Amino acid sequence: MISAPHLHAGPTSRRMMLSVVVCLLPAGLWAVVRYGPPALYVLLASIAASLLTELAIAALAFRRFTLGDGSAALTGLLIGFTLPPAVPLYVPIAAAVFAIAVVKMTFGGLGRNWMNPALGGRVFVMFSWPVFFHASPAAGRADSLLRWIWNGTPGAIGDVSATLLVLGSVYLFVRRIIRWETPAAFIGSFSLAVWAFAGLPHGFFRGDLPLYLLTGGLLLGALYQATDPVTSPLTRVGRLVFGAGCGLLAFLVRRFGPYAEGVAPAVVFMNMLVPLINRLTRRAAC
Amino acid sequence: MSQARTFPRGGVRPPDRKSLSEDQPIRKACVPSFALLPMRQHAGEPARCLVSPGERVREGMLIGRAEGPGAANVHASVPGLIREVLEVVLPSGARTPAVRIELDGEFECTGRPQTARNWREFIRHELLERIEEKGVVGLGGGQPTAAKLRAAGRPQLLLVNGVESEPYLTADHRLLVEKAAEVLTGAQIVASLFELEPAQVLLCITEDRRQTLASAHGQAAALGFRVEPLAARYPQGEEQQLRLALAGGLDALVLNVGTLLAIYEAVVWGTPLIERVVTVSGSAVRRPSNLKARLGTRLRELVEDCGGLAGRPERIVVGGPLRGFAVADLEAPLTKEMAGVLLLGRGELRARGSGTAGEAACIGCGRCIEACPWGLRPLELYHWIREGEPRELRRLGLERCTECGCCAYVCPSRIPLVRWLAGGRWL
Amino acid sequence: MLNLRDNPLLLYALGICPALAVSTRVDNALVMGLLVLVVLMGTTLVMAALEPVLPEALRLPLALVAAAGLVTAGDLFLRTYLPGLREGLGIYVQLVAVNCLLVGRTETGRRRLSEAAPEAFGQGAGFCLGLLLVALVREVLGAGTISLFPVGSFSGTLRIGGLAEQPVRILLLAPGAFLVLGYLAALYNRSRS
Repeated sequence: MISAPHLHAGPTSRRMMLSVVVCLLPAGLWAVVRYGPPALYVLLASIAASLLTELAIAALAFRRFTLGDGSAALTGLLIGFTLPPAVPLYVPIAAAVFAIAVVKMTFGGLGRNWMNPALGGRVFVMFSWPVFFHASPAAGRADSLLRWIWNGTPGAIGDVSATLLVLGSVYLFVRRIIRWETPAAFIGSFSLAVWAFAGLPHGFFRGDLPLYLLTGGLLLGALYQATDPVTSPLTRVGRLVFGAGCGLLAFLVRRFGPYAEGVAPAVVFMNMLVPLINRLTRRAAC
Repeated sequence: MSQARTFPRGGVRPPDRKSLSEDQPIRKACVPSFALLPMRQHAGEPARCLVSPGERVREGMLIGRAEGPGAANVHASVPGLIREVLEVVLPSGARTPAVRIELDGEFECTGRPQTARNWREFIRHELLERIEEKGVVGLGGGQPTAAKLRAAGRPQLLLVNGVESEPYLTADHRLLVEKAAEVLTGAQIVASLFELEPAQVLLCITEDRRQTLASAHGQAAALGFRVEPLAARYPQGEEQQLRLALAGGLDALVLNVGTLLAIYEAVVWGTPLIERVVTVSGSAVRRPSNLKARLGTRLRELVEDCGGLAGRPERIVVGGPLRGFAVADLEAPLTKEMAGVLLLGRGELRARGSGTAGEAACIGCGRCIEACPWGLRPLELYHWIREGEPRELRRLGLERCTECGCCAYVCPSRIPLVRWLAGGRWL
Repeated sequence: MLNLRDNPLLLYALGICPALAVSTRVDNALVMGLLVLVVLMGTTLVMAALEPVLPEALRLPLALVAAAGLVTAGDLFLRTYLPGLREGLGIYVQLVAVNCLLVGRTETGRRRLSEAAPEAFGQGAGFCLGLLLVALVREVLGAGTISLFPVGSFSGTLRIGGLAEQPVRILLLAPGAFLVLGYLAALYNRSRS
């Protein structure tokens, strides 16, 4: 039975997912150029594992075909982006299987998960095979313009070009597929924390902001990961709070922890608080 | 140029699409050879059918008497012979008895000189009786007008609703262009019922139509009415949104321009409600028009009156595109509550992604919350309806939902939220 | 009656504290499981024997004293014959005395010896088996080994080639414990219905 309304506005959710994929492609292609075939294999492995896992579980447990909504492909791509190009392929595969099977499907599929699947997968492999994720010494100060286009510091695949990531996100902002509050608060609080505390023990307000912004998956996380609507708060104020928390935690884990980046644990932790944030900001303007 | 007023939150701006028919003057549709008149053309109980097959009826004769709450009288829209009394299913899904009249005989009301009465001669209860007797209902929503007026208490404002905020529909607009005098007289009649000063009567139009409605504006101002241009947002045309935009805390009575015209016709000319102006539009009809048609005309004949179909319609909608009902064919009869018949083509539906993707999972994007004019949280309501928790629904305020469709309009997963929310009321 | 269908660990989530903590190695799990079984049986026997003369209010205290005694005995046994493993179990040995499985039995379990004994055995054995299963999964995937007891020339540890180099280490950590227990419980429940 077809019911009113008979007109709709804006992109469908499938189109939204695919738009994000398309906006990530320039950075992905550039990463393959920069890092060579290993990067490509990692991306393909995580996407394929993601699709196959969702296909299997949706068919067996839900008796439905859900690949059409595009979210599995996007999750696979995002997982690949958080991994270094040189990892053995069982890492992206394990991350993807965990992300789809445990984080997403166990809770009921798209829209029902509370944890960001790609980042959940990333945390899973980060703690399982930590040897691949140790912090690498930053090769010099990252204040040249070149860094924004071509990141010489080996890091995750998605870290390769800040410029391409930001450019890709512009379209998403314009179409309101991404809301500005989360990235703004995330980058804002992260930057503030970096500037104030990263220079310790040499003193306050000496943080190397460009280094922290360009490496460690911050831009990818702030623009594409934390903005996942399923695991973000519903209100504007809520998203600001969420982003701010992510930024602060990401800084703490990055600076004072042994890992190369803190974005994944930070966002996953804040995801846990989203229902509480939603409840507390219920009256706030959207 | 003052800032157009509007309701405080939510709402959407769908594509207007009124250019298809807004310049088409109201044109009389052909009188149908058969009229199918449902006993329920209003929001309440069906009227009691007074006729049986084989009887002859005159034009304008009472054939259904209002009994029970929310009912209104039904009159024969054509003279002729009652062929059968049958049960029909209306586009809304409701079943109702209906009378089929085969056209035959002379028209007594149409085309003959009538005697106009001076409405000021009537006292209050006589006016209300005339309105009730002639079967006037709200042409925006189907509530029997006399009952509404009787229950109105002491309003301090009369809002003349010419907003018509749904896309495609232009009938009310044309009424204001061509029949403003009659509509405003109707407004005077209602104002007199409640002893309202002219300054307490507001003609509500959308600001993008100020130019074309300059004449109506002038006539209203001449009578001492105020004219309020409102922002062109949906659902500005709903009663509550008008009150929120204009009335402040005051008690306001809202009546649609078509209803006021019907009041004028009933009081001054004694004409029962047997025809209405309906917009037939969409890309799948040859000549989109605003037809003044007899109630009971089958929609197919209205479409033929507009040059017939221009290609196969992807969807046929009775009413407006945001609140109307999709129907499978054009056999339904025109009733008092139908403001439009839309023959929508593939391009019109697909243009914004409608009808393509099936219902997907809710992704929690929150667009529905931003769109809701009542500040409700449709996605939470949807979740609790699926879980079957009526207590949570009450806590979240489901009873305030007017099923305007803004939430479903913006939903990227194309979830039929209106259907779910309407179903939730039954939990 | 001997009930092996309602597994206290996987169905009722009793005793998950030690279950999560010691299930990183199979040998630890085996010893812990057997300890729980022995203490459970012993306590049940003591309670059943004293049932006719025991006032209701003293049931719980007596059970705890009996359990504590048996645990201490078991602890001493382990320190003597399996000192390394005893180190590995840490505080969880003492905690068996207040294991909720045990305490719960005291209150809701059957009283007569002929009924109580098989019931206790079933619960103890079920717990032990459940624990072994969790430990097997966690150790195989999380460390690539299966730790058993040295016998003759067998060193006690089975290594699984590829997995032992780069195992899924998170399974040996707390999140992995919950994940494995959770999914095993889900599978177990699914197979019951």
